[in-house]
Amino acid sequence: METVDRLLKKNRFELVLLLPLFLYFLVFVALPFLYNLLLSFSPASGSLGLTAYREVFSDPRFGSAVVNTLVISAVSLALELFLGLGLAMWIFKARGRWARIWRLAFILPLGVPGIVSAANMRYIFDVHGYLNAILQRIGLLKGVVDWMGGGWPSLLAIAVADTWKVTPLVMLVLLAGLKSIPKELYDSARIDGADAWQEFFYITLPLLRRFITMAIIIRGIDAFRIFELPLALAGNNIPVLSTYAYFEYAQYDSPATSAVAGLVLGVMVLVFVLGYIKVMGEG
Amino acid sequence: MGLVVRTAMRGMRLLGLLLVLGWVVFPVYLMVKISLSPPEAVLRPVPEIGLHRITLEHWRRLLSSGGLYPPLIKSLTVAGLTVLLSLLIGVPSAYAIARLPRNWSYRLSVAMFLSRMLPEVVIALPIAVIFIRLNLLDTVMGLVFAHTVKALPVACWLLIGVFRSIPRDLEEQASVDGATTWQILFRIVIPLSLGGIAVAGVFAYLLSWDEFTYAIYLCLAKPTLPLKVYYYVNRGDWFLTSAYAVVTTLPVIVLTYVLHLFLREDVFAGSLKE
Repeated sequence: METVDRLLKKNRFELVLLLPLFLYFLVFVALPFLYNLLLSFSPASGSLGLTAYREVFSDPRFGSAVVNTLVISAVSLALELFLGLGLAMWIFKARGRWARIWRLAFILPLGVPGIVSAANMRYIFDVHGYLNAILQRIGLLKGVVDWMGGGWPSLLAIAVADTWKVTPLVMLVLLAGLKSIPKELYDSARIDGADAWQEFFYITLPLLRRFITMAIIIRGIDAFRIFELPLALAGNNIPVLSTYAYFEYAQYDSPATSAVAGLVLGVMVLVFVLGYIKVMGEG
Repeated sequence: MGLVVRTAMRGMRLLGLLLVLGWVVFPVYLMVKISLSPPEAVLRPVPEIGLHRITLEHWRRLLSSGGLYPPLIKSLTVAGLTVLLSLLIGVPSAYAIARLPRNWSYRLSVAMFLSRMLPEVVIALPIAVIFIRLNLLDTVMGLVFAHTVKALPVACWLLIGVFRSIPRDLEEQASVDGATTWQILFRIVIPLSLGGIAVAGVFAYLLSWDEFTYAIYLCLAKPTLPLKVYYYVNRGDWFLTSAYAVVTTLPVIVLTYVLHLFLREDVFAGSLKE
């Protein structure tokens, strides 16, 4: 390729500087990925084969891990975008000192490590935990709800817990988007007699599109890979793909099936990102 | 009429906002509260929500067990070395990417972003399997290498933005005056970017300090602080969980707020805006 040729000639200094980065990614990203691929073909059994793939795909727990991952991702992504956009618009409108104060208040979860937020959520969603206590106190609940007993309540609880931790990030990205919209657009819309809803749907949303796309892609990737939250909240009871992979390795001592589950997760993330970009038609 | 409706709407919004604020603060409040509560206030069918009685028993247990310092020291060392390694590799690379022609620098930024799509478990598993063979499990350096995988792209993005903001004229002027490219990098670019480099370092520190997935794969007998929290979660000890959680959270909350007092949200969007 001609362009590569030119790059090599004109930018030798830059390429030398890039060498450590390149080597690092080779050794600690590319090689592990290839080794993971090799592990998935069960080299431990003596010959390469698809045993691990067959084993994983016929495991009902794997099926529910896939479903759980999809449900949790979809619910938490929707909640985070909705809340994140609402908070960003509030802060954007507040202006001045109040905008700063609200912003600093709402970013509190950014400073809480993932495993700590998981531990805190356990206090809340435990059978004898604080959510049930509050619901009983305000009279919404007579008995108790076993939030982590499995099924929809558990998936919902995990999605809500994830929303707690991540909404600030979505909020900040969308706030940056709101600040990038020229004010003149709103002024002229108001002169033309547009109401708040029209402003939102015809100016704010379309111009935020790039930022929403970015938030969805960044957050989508992380939502699929969710790990410590379901691990600490529900352990092996409610597997998602990451925790499934972890338990296959750490508890059942089976690197091959763990590798398969990890690869499936990787493919899901890839399909999500490429699919989203294709549907939304953005380069 | 219009005014009444508008005031009502505003009131509703403020109420909603206060509810959200309560929801944001409540889990953090609980963590601190439980670490200070006597067991009979927490371990009962309906736990007390307010902090009526205070005990330092759990903190005494935490400090006297001797279990705190090894993980604390390991977390500190690993995070510190991750910062060092990330900057050592990240500063020159980001400078190079910032100087490359636009299309190449864009491609490299995207490639780094795509590396994030690989699930951590896909990278952690092979590293763990190899580390077992090389006897590197539980070592500080092993974990530093893994954490750098996570911190390096983030540090690079931030640094690319930092280096782009340095006027090229300055570098061209220096090269007219006879400075070599290395001199320009070390005498002009880096000294002018110290603030930005520090920010990238703090981000790398936070990523490593919070990190859980690589840690659980690569540590057995010598946990980091997040693993210690998980250990007590598993044991069902709510009080030591909360005490360790407070210890793990305190430095991060402080650093996060320091960052956000200085930074605008563009930092999070900036490097991807192209």
